[in-house]
Amino acid sequence: MVKRLYDIASLFKEYILFAIFVIVSIVLLSLNDSAQIRTIRSITLVSVGSLQNALGFIPNYFDLRRENRTLRELNLSLTDEVSRLREARLENIHLRQLLSLKDRTRYSYIAANIVGKNLQMLRNTITLDVGEKEGVRINMPIVSESGLVGKITATSSGYSIGQILLNRELRVSAKVQRSRVDGIIRWEGGRWLILQNVVKTMDVQPGDLVITSEYSSIFPEGIPIGVVNSTKQPPGALFQSIELSPGVDFSRLEEVFVVSTSPDTSRAAVEKKVK
Amino acid sequence: MRQVFGYILLSFILVLLQTTIVRYLAIESVAPDIILVWIVYLALREGQATAIVAGFSLGLAVDLLSGNDGMLGLSALTNTVAGFTAGFFHNENKMLQILGGFQFPLVVIAVSLVRNILYFLIYLQGAEIDWLAGMVTYGLPAAIYTSALALLPMFVFARKIRSQL
Repeated sequence: MVKRLYDIASLFKEYILFAIFVIVSIVLLSLNDSAQIRTIRSITLVSVGSLQNALGFIPNYFDLRRENRTLRELNLSLTDEVSRLREARLENIHLRQLLSLKDRTRYSYIAANIVGKNLQMLRNTITLDVGEKEGVRINMPIVSESGLVGKITATSSGYSIGQILLNRELRVSAKVQRSRVDGIIRWEGGRWLILQNVVKTMDVQPGDLVITSEYSSIFPEGIPIGVVNSTKQPPGALFQSIELSPGVDFSRLEEVFVVSTSPDTSRAAVEKKVK
Repeated sequence: MRQVFGYILLSFILVLLQTTIVRYLAIESVAPDIILVWIVYLALREGQATAIVAGFSLGLAVDLLSGNDGMLGLSALTNTVAGFTAGFFHNENKMLQILGGFQFPLVVIAVSLVRNILYFLIYLQGAEIDWLAGMVTYGLPAAIYTSALALLPMFVFARKIRSQL
């Protein structure tokens, strides 16, 4: 009897293996965020991350020259902007004192190199060479000099994984800087980001800068996201169809900053209470 | 046994390459999948069972490196199906001819399409874009790009066959 079963099993071993792995995969899909899975993810991230870091010596020669020129130009314009911002800041402090307004929270930035990019159809992520040791925590925003990059979704002691804006799972609360119109940023594939939930009567024009809004409990207010590329008014729909060109060039992104934020617990508590 | 360790080591190196070097080959966020080429190679060389195990393990590694996006198991599932599908093209007597001929990139594109259709059917559940749009924008270009990459090992095997003649 046992031998017969063994014979049948060896005859159909491929099908049995296939069935087992399909079942395990489906179980994994349903148990996604358990403590054990987090531990396994952390171990994988440490081992693969350190090797990715070791491979970081391979430079992208094609981009270095262009990047150097861009950085020089950027440096020049930033120097000019810094001096103007200093003036504006002094004026701002003075006016805030006059109005007795609460000062906005200041954030510190953790510099990080991208040691891995996982371009997995619509699930694009980046691996950073900073982790819990440097103070990186889940949900911290990632930015570059060009604007918002994404947020941290997994951490280990020395490495972390970030979801970028070009990831279908990421949503960002945003607003149009000029007209203060609110919406939600998401990506559904392709070259452009989408600004959703903007009713047709709202004023949004091509060329408008879109920034993070104060409604997000993850992203600080005012980080540039992108520029409106086109607006459409689909017949019969309540909302506009707005496409944005992201401020960050994700194909050339090499260095980023993790914004060290701590969650606003009192705000979260109030919001939870209302829900 | 030595060969098994060799395969494991090479699989690990390919996961590293996929997440470090391959990004430089990406065109409009579409990158070739060297892991899939490796799974098809294993299927043609070693058979269906090996390809299923490799597909699941490598898919799981990719999932673990995708962060906490609620989709752990998706690549494991789709790459297991890829290994299973590729295994049907295994023919011990014609192995080198398949690997060194145009059958190899053709198998890669067929398996890649099957895997990508399944991937988008699951991943785009409840999304505003349907799976067909996902396939046209990403699935199909990625399958073509991946099969183009499969030409490299094909030429290596074609050379090997010629030297044996």
